[in-house]
Amino acid sequence: MSPTLIGITGIVIMLLMFLTQMPVAFVMAFVGFIGFSYVIDINAGLALLSLEVYETLASYDLSTIPLFILMGQLGFNSGISKRLYEAGYKFLGNIRGGLAMATVSACTAFGAVCGSSPATAATMATIGLPEMRRYNYDDELATGSVASGGSIGMIMPPSVVLIIYGILTQQSIGALFVAGIFPALLITLLFILCIYIRCTISPDQGPPGESFTWAQKLKSLLGLGETLAVFALVIVGIFVGLFTPTEAAAVGAFGVLLIALFRRQLTWKGFVDSILETLRTSCMVMMLIVGAVILSKFLAVTRIPFEIAGWVSGLDIPAVLVMSVILIIYLIGGCFIDALAFVTLTVPIFYPVVQQLGYDPIWFGVMIVMITQMGVITPPIGINVYVVYGVAQTLFARTIPLEKIFKGVLPFLIALIAGVVILILFPQIILFLPRLLY
Amino acid sequence: MIHQALNRLSNIMKVIGGIALVGMMLLTVVDVIGRLFQRPIFGSVEIVGFLATIIVAGALPYTYRIGGHVGVEILMQTASRKTQILVRIATRALTLFLFGLITWQMFLHAGELKQIGEVSMSLKFPTYYIAYILGFGLLLFAVTIIETICHDITQLRKGSSK
Repeated sequence: MSPTLIGITGIVIMLLMFLTQMPVAFVMAFVGFIGFSYVIDINAGLALLSLEVYETLASYDLSTIPLFILMGQLGFNSGISKRLYEAGYKFLGNIRGGLAMATVSACTAFGAVCGSSPATAATMATIGLPEMRRYNYDDELATGSVASGGSIGMIMPPSVVLIIYGILTQQSIGALFVAGIFPALLITLLFILCIYIRCTISPDQGPPGESFTWAQKLKSLLGLGETLAVFALVIVGIFVGLFTPTEAAAVGAFGVLLIALFRRQLTWKGFVDSILETLRTSCMVMMLIVGAVILSKFLAVTRIPFEIAGWVSGLDIPAVLVMSVILIIYLIGGCFIDALAFVTLTVPIFYPVVQQLGYDPIWFGVMIVMITQMGVITPPIGINVYVVYGVAQTLFARTIPLEKIFKGVLPFLIALIAGVVILILFPQIILFLPRLLY
Repeated sequence: MIHQALNRLSNIMKVIGGIALVGMMLLTVVDVIGRLFQRPIFGSVEIVGFLATIIVAGALPYTYRIGGHVGVEILMQTASRKTQILVRIATRALTLFLFGLITWQMFLHAGELKQIGEVSMSLKFPTYYIAYILGFGLLLFAVTIIETICHDITQLRKGSSK
């Protein structure tokens, strides 16, 4: 059997193994190890295991991941989100659908300290849903805006998926971070537009709330100051070269901890929960990277990524068509597999193709994050929908049916697709900032 | 009793992981502040790398125990409970095989590092200590997998005796 055929067999076995619910990280490592040992020899395979696991876990570059996760978790457990929501509420609450718009804006702002989409959705659901119910908002609009708004957390820097993409493809994490800012703002605007259109067509979906004086509005902005300061320190710090991403993450996490302690909003339990959740998520992410590294060594010896890249570049079809197919694969994959797992799994395969086609790696990174994160609100997995469903269940006596939340998410999904099309047509939106600064 | 001992060990590792995480944050912040005054912490990059390894070594058994790794759930959700447990035992056995090998290789690797006397570049710290800690975390993880397999088998027996 030729190495390429072994590689294809390996990929098919891997896909079948996924269906057994075995963790994605372990499947990748298992198939990678067996395949590598088969192509080279068992001793090389065994050496690969110890060396790659040790080297990957002891890497300084990867230490940025637990620290950024810790920063998000501390933000999650310390009430920062409530102040962000209040600011949005004071500015937008009095217009039709304004509370939903405030929720989406607060999600974006919270995404600036938290790189996890379900954590953003859970935080904002706890704060936003009771308020929207108080003003008789339609359940579909309320839950839909929280679940969808949460997805922005993954694009807005610091984004864990972008860090991993950066490490796997050796792209600058700082450049990837700044590249994510405008797309996140674009999606926020599209979501707000979507709410506006919905409430114009049927005004009783989001009745206007109370209005506030300018003095109250401006005062609410003070609550944003500290979050903005931490975000600016982290992002500006990375791209002026003041910090490495690891240092920026440590300073950011420490900054959020100080704010929480200063405001007396972090309990001991909240602190311990933040640490435990960080350990769990970090371990899961690190294992995914270990799995992806072992798998990519196997794929490299089978030469599959290069064969595909060579084959695709030899095809007489426009590059944009190939890219569309790749992006559709990400769209479908994102619906079934966790975004992070799917990105670590596929980047070693598709990245050489993308390079061969001449696309900018930074643009591609942001695009695949945008597309796979749609999966957090689409059936059958739609983790954010389940998170919002769970929060609603604990908040209200009567639960909101899952179908209703999925229905509520649909218009936002259309807005997201529109956003992706805009970013394909105008890649400058992604590339403008990194090109300006790097 | 084995269950209790394992639980306790896994909790200790979890606490060590948590301390390593907080330590990593504080060390890096002090290093950054120290740099402003031309007094950075010598070898901080190396220590952060070591701490990152300890974090994962500490979190491995805990994360597996609480089902913290992501998998694809679609097909198995529709299967019967018995089939689900049987498939779970099979995939756990494969995971055990893989991590049994990784643990074995990690201890061998640590032994080699000790034998050749490899030390880190700046601090001259013997790296085999870190490899042994990782090996221990992996070993505990492998034992945790065995425990979950036993638990699944008990569940399967209970189900069939009903």
